[in-house]
Amino acid sequence: MHCETSNIGHQTMLPQTTDFDLDQVIACPDCDLLLENIPVATGEKLCCPRCGETLKEPKTNSINRTLALSLTGLLLYPFAIFMPIMTLNTMGLENSGNIFDGVFMTWISGYRFIAVIVALTSVIFPLIKLLLLFLVSLSLKFKRYHNSLHLLMRSYIHLDEWGMLEVFMLGILVTIIKMHHMAAIHYDAGLFCFVGLLAAALGSSIMMDKEEFWKLIENGGVSY
Amino acid sequence: MSTTAKAAGLALCHDCHKLVPAAGKSALASCPRCGAAIHLRKPGSLNRSWALVLAALILYFPANLLPIMLVDFMGSPDLSTIMDGIIYFFQEGSYGIGAVILTASILVPCFKIICLILILLSIHFRWRSWLRHKTILFRIIEFIGRWSMLDIFVIALLHVMVNFENITTITAAPAAPYFVGVVICTMFAAITFDPRLLWDA
Repeated sequence: MHCETSNIGHQTMLPQTTDFDLDQVIACPDCDLLLENIPVATGEKLCCPRCGETLKEPKTNSINRTLALSLTGLLLYPFAIFMPIMTLNTMGLENSGNIFDGVFMTWISGYRFIAVIVALTSVIFPLIKLLLLFLVSLSLKFKRYHNSLHLLMRSYIHLDEWGMLEVFMLGILVTIIKMHHMAAIHYDAGLFCFVGLLAAALGSSIMMDKEEFWKLIENGGVSY
Repeated sequence: MSTTAKAAGLALCHDCHKLVPAAGKSALASCPRCGAAIHLRKPGSLNRSWALVLAALILYFPANLLPIMLVDFMGSPDLSTIMDGIIYFFQEGSYGIGAVILTASILVPCFKIICLILILLSIHFRWRSWLRHKTILFRIIEFIGRWSMLDIFVIALLHVMVNFENITTITAAPAAPYFVGVVICTMFAAITFDPRLLWDA
């Protein structure tokens, strides 16, 4: 991907007043450098010349793709959480489990804090994130600018790093590697649904162009 | 010398990254686009980050010294710490998976705590060198934080998958809540830290 850097911050002194047009400048969130707001084409990336942070990275067809992927994720979600992910078979005994059982049994065993954290990071937050992305992209797609749209976007931004489906996926892989010496493992439908859910959830958050979404919400006549 | 948004009297909204005036007559208290409170820098950033990093450092010891998992095989309980689990994988010859767990459970939390302390100290002592590298280091800390939850997820999964009532069961052990505490404290420390303070110093 081509990385284009704007170097106005290094060459020209910007006026020390608040008088200039706020649409003409952008600031780096990591080092606060004030830069000229130059248009960036899709497939290109604008990086801060001082600290290297990505400032703009427009996505193609962002709303449609986010909508499609978040809907896919929501459809797969109940199957990924409630269907058994695998069956272990050892010494004639069989045992299978799903993700919801993992949370529930940890709660029963007395480690309630662990159960709550696992429930939040791998069951509840991923669902809320998908719902928020679905609602926001659906509203933008059909140009329904509901006046709570900015709250949905803010909730999504704050929840973003607390949904940990990809870490949970690595956890499933480690569990498989840990158990495959001791038991015969049969992979059930839930595992494949979970992989699909992970792909849809990651895809939808990668496809979302935050800048474009915020611009549309701002110009859609949100009133305060 | 280049201009910062702060020097120009502008603040970046924490949530939606809109530039809004933060000085003079036109200063705004909340973002006109998303409604979030406007601050030039994250409020109380240094104090909060220090408190959370130190809390994580304290919790790091019980998390690693106490047993994190209880394996009950035929009525004989066997407690193991995080390090025991990693040594087990290396003895089995599964070096790859041993390295993954060693990285996620021991090296990453340790790396995060040490680097956050270095970054915070560098602000206090106004070390103005390696600014770009320190900012990149902070972005790495932000990214890797969540991966430490790996061990907790594995225990929750083993608990439900290896549940052959009278033969063998696996449950969490006392270190698990401390370990979750370390991960949550370091994640919040990274969230409350404002990397722009490095450049202000």
